Amino acid sequence: MTQFSLDEWFVVLLARTIRPAETVFHGFGSPCAQVAMHVARRTHARDMTLIEGAMYAVNPDPPFIPPTSNDASLKRGAPYSMRFEEFFDAAIRGDVDRMFLSGGQIDGHGNTNVTGMGPSDTGFKVKLGGGGGGCNLAATIRHLSLWSSRHRSGRALVEACDFITDMGHRNPAGDRVDLGYTGGGPQWMVTELGVFSFPGGQARLDFRFPDVSVEEIRAVTGFELRVAGDLRTVVPPSSAELSALRAVDSLGIRRGEFAAAELDRVFDHDPAMGCAC
Amino acid sequence: MGFQPQRDKTVSVAMAVADIADGAMIALGGGLSARLPMAFVRELIRQGKQDLHLVGSAHSIDVDLLVAAGAVRRCEESYVGFEQDLGLAPAYRRAAESGNIEVAESCCVTILAQLRATELGLPFLPVRGVRGSDILRLHPEYAEVTCPFTGEVLVAVPALKPDVALLHAPLGDRYGNLHLEQPYVLDERFASASARVVATVDKLVSTEGVAAAGVTIPAHLVAAVAEVPFGAHPTSCYPDYAYDRQHLSTYVKAAQAGGEDLAGYLKTFVYGVADEIEYRELIGGDRLAELGRWTQSTEDWKGLFR
Repeated sequence: MTQFSLDEWFVVLLARTIRPAETVFHGFGSPCAQVAMHVARRTHARDMTLIEGAMYAVNPDPPFIPPTSNDASLKRGAPYSMRFEEFFDAAIRGDVDRMFLSGGQIDGHGNTNVTGMGPSDTGFKVKLGGGGGGCNLAATIRHLSLWSSRHRSGRALVEACDFITDMGHRNPAGDRVDLGYTGGGPQWMVTELGVFSFPGGQARLDFRFPDVSVEEIRAVTGFELRVAGDLRTVVPPSSAELSALRAVDSLGIRRGEFAAAELDRVFDHDPAMGCAC
Repeated sequence: MGFQPQRDKTVSVAMAVADIADGAMIALGGGLSARLPMAFVRELIRQGKQDLHLVGSAHSIDVDLLVAAGAVRRCEESYVGFEQDLGLAPAYRRAAESGNIEVAESCCVTILAQLRATELGLPFLPVRGVRGSDILRLHPEYAEVTCPFTGEVLVAVPALKPDVALLHAPLGDRYGNLHLEQPYVLDERFASASARVVATVDKLVSTEGVAAAGVTIPAHLVAAVAEVPFGAHPTSCYPDYAYDRQHLSTYVKAAQAGGEDLAGYLKTFVYGVADEIEYRELIGGDRLAELGRWTQSTEDWKGLFR
């Protein structure tokens, strides 16, 4: 284990947004977030409650991560699976601590668009799949971990979403207090270029990957890039995190989220790097 | 709604579908790649149904195929697509972009609340969230309501009562008792909120047999049941079979190409077969058996998804 790749580092960074003892959920069609939850549960957050998106299985130990979110492999080892309404009720009343969300577009307030690009009144220019449960859940789940694996495209992090599916910290209708939303909104946003936090409800670059510059990141970010005064490089994965990840995602499902060129980004692993757990 | 009498309800798929009117609001059971009512979907297309209003949570080839065949007027799901793996739903996407279908994209909690309103005999229920989302713009029928106790403003969503729910289950009896494996998705809610519930089952067994496995949806909610082995193919119906990723991939490629490729898929797998017996012959017993071999070992299971 002398090297690791960008997709692995990315998943580990997502995993680290999970705090111990949290109840965490991922939406379907989100392999990176899905793998990240299992990595967290096998390293630094062993007491978390992991709820599989689309299966609603609680703390399963899947033999592998399949390319679809509601395959029976994802409930293997789970002593219990919630019913659909059982999960959504819990999330809406505020019993879920964290959810992972992404979007074809994400703005600087953390609003996400998973519905479609272009004007929606005359037919979308590009119709995306849709938001699943996000438009309700983003309101009430305590923290949101956002991610984008297509930051470099220049089309993902935008000044304003063409369509707001899931509420971030503020949108034209108001902020979360105005709208009576009980959840805290986006807390982190991980991209293949860096990691953002949301002080004051606005995205700020706190970490960058060592092989990209702030200028490169600024050039592909649609909203005005705020940068932390103590901008750092992202902390490398530990041996424990890498082996957990490779064991969980033996089919490499996570890699499907990235452009081919990103998967060529390979980094040297320092075996002395401690365990994050 | 309205409980069904306790009698033999076995029918053919064609008979179950014949009763569905053009323009009907249809609830689709299952979700994503699991337990979609595909035998019904194929028969709806063969019978040339039009102007359907589809309701569901997260769906894939069921909605896309119906849209591809020109059977759909309005789509009201929380998601239509093939996840990260196979990507956007090609026919749904094209129809949405050209304005050929009404996109009434919804959200899982909202649909759940709308079905519960029907189950409770209420005209609406309030939901948290949705405010500040552009999803509101797609639903002029939603309203706002002020809580009389707290003053909180919430979105009010009207009761949703599908004309018919189409479900697929691994196991059922002739009275319509159905056993499902989790996730049940919205099937239970659809079963009690819809005017009429029809189901296909992979295996028709005795009442004792279903009871032993566990009744998920009771006979008094079900109007008709048809035995269709592999009725969810190319989606999964555990414990009997995993989803057929190769077939889904073949479909997505044809649908992306559109035109003759998509027409070719429809001709081969829908119009070109008279019924589900011919469909199974076309897919082939060997392939169908392969999808059931996930139980043999983790390597066999993984092999299906490579």
